[in-house]
Amino acid sequence: MSALLRMEIGKLGRLASVRFGAVVLIVFPLLWAYAPGIFDVYGFFLVSGFQVPALALLSSMEFLLPLLIAITCAELIGMEINHGTLPTVLLRPVTRAQWLLAKLLVASAYPFLALAFFLLTSLAAGAFFGFGPFVGGTGLGRQGLLGAGTMMPVDAWREVVLAYLMAAYSLVPIGLLAVLFAVILMNAAGGALATLATLIVMQLLIVFPAVTPYLLTTQLSAYVQPASPLGWVVALIAVYCAAFAAAAVIVFERKDF
Amino acid sequence: MQAAIETKALTKRYGTRPIIRDLTFAVHPGEVYALVGPNGAGKTTVIRLVSGLAFPSSGTVRMLGQDPHETPSVRRRLGAVVEAPAAFYPYLTGRSNLLLHARLAGGVATSRVREVLDQVELGHAADRKVGVYSLGMRQRLGVAAALLTRPEVLILDEPASGMDPLSLHLVHRVLRDAAASGTAVLLSTHHLDEVVAYCSHVGILEEGVLIDEVDLRDRGARVRVLVDDVQNARLTLAAQPWVREVFVRGRDVVFTLEKPAAIDRVAGCLATAGVALRELGDDSFDLRSYYRERVEAQRARRTLDDEIPGASA
Repeated sequence: MSALLRMEIGKLGRLASVRFGAVVLIVFPLLWAYAPGIFDVYGFFLVSGFQVPALALLSSMEFLLPLLIAITCAELIGMEINHGTLPTVLLRPVTRAQWLLAKLLVASAYPFLALAFFLLTSLAAGAFFGFGPFVGGTGLGRQGLLGAGTMMPVDAWREVVLAYLMAAYSLVPIGLLAVLFAVILMNAAGGALATLATLIVMQLLIVFPAVTPYLLTTQLSAYVQPASPLGWVVALIAVYCAAFAAAAVIVFERKDF
Repeated sequence: MQAAIETKALTKRYGTRPIIRDLTFAVHPGEVYALVGPNGAGKTTVIRLVSGLAFPSSGTVRMLGQDPHETPSVRRRLGAVVEAPAAFYPYLTGRSNLLLHARLAGGVATSRVREVLDQVELGHAADRKVGVYSLGMRQRLGVAAALLTRPEVLILDEPASGMDPLSLHLVHRVLRDAAASGTAVLLSTHHLDEVVAYCSHVGILEEGVLIDEVDLRDRGARVRVLVDDVQNARLTLAAQPWVREVFVRGRDVVFTLEKPAAIDRVAGCLATAGVALRELGDDSFDLRSYYRERVEAQRARRTLDDEIPGASA
């Protein structure tokens, strides 16, 4: 299993979507850090390097990051189909479940890797503003960007890192859903599109208030404003992850190649 | 002897459409079994069912006595190439791809990678990325990957696809050697002429049905005579204890000798019976013609059945 996992992690860096995503995650924070019209549009000035990660995350969690995660995780399966290597691997004495489990673990790790990289590029983009005490907020705490007086760097670090961790965690089920759809459709593009379509439908379901707290899309804003107690949100996301992973394994176990 | 590969009443349907119907055959250690048939006959499906990549709709598959789905560990004893051309990660070198296979298989020494690369004459290209390999080179790398674990069962889908004559000869030699060392080889191919040279059995598939199996092992002892009186010659030869399987083919009488040395007795025996012998020689089996006859006959039978149900029976 460890050989399999090492192999799958090695493949991650070869994916076109990972390389493309890295470029996007470098450029995106720069747009915020150096946008000349930010005051005209949003009515505030950036005063700290800690605010760039917040703006980058706030503006990308709704669509950009789910898109990048879905495409990459679907491509984890799609690349094997494109290269024709899926049967080759399955002919070795690894079980189908082991192989898919390795893929699912990589798909689960990818949002954390991507957001760690995004945090680094955002901090680098905001370095111009410095990371000392500042008047205002990071944008990721209860007080938003305006804050409540002077914010100390240690508090800012805590808010930013926790928010990025929570955001990454809430993106994990999206990656696993993309793997599930890619396994069903045996196609990377189809897997990513089906995932995005599902998310769009879920976003529309907010017109049913009773189901809103349970929707996956509702949890995407938990990093800044959890709809329910945080423990409940964490558990709900774990349930989504388990359900998508189990469904992917069940489908994959009975698939003809 | 236990069969290395055995299928019984193997059937595969996609929806209601049967792709493989009631397929029963066996490959024993040391045998090379070639599946031949027109495009769409179901050869690749059989290869995938037998190797455990696809699930049968009904019937059974046994590899070394075990179900490859229920006991995936049996694949430790399997070497297989089920894609034509053989599939590898194009961004890795030939050597790295094989090392990756070795890691997945477990227990394969690094020196074995070098050994199989040399065996298929790819040592010189081992450190080039597979993306720049020609079709024939990829196929040879596929054979090398299949041989990596010294398998007891080799399954190859179109191993000769895209190969030049020299590579073709090389792969045939490698497969023959593997069979000589006791490996059971199952392959699908369109190269009917080469099949006769190194396969022990041929199964002819048509529309998912195994319409004939030919045992090529005793073809070398088959003799053909051209005579003036065909029926007399047939009866005379059939009465000899050192002759078996006598039949008439056109103006020839074809028969199999119990022992090759008995060929010296043929002329004398026929002369005693008053049959004038004009020609005597080995009956080289023409698989291509035989295959065409069998496939066409099967198609004619099917057409007849379509028009008048049960007519061919």
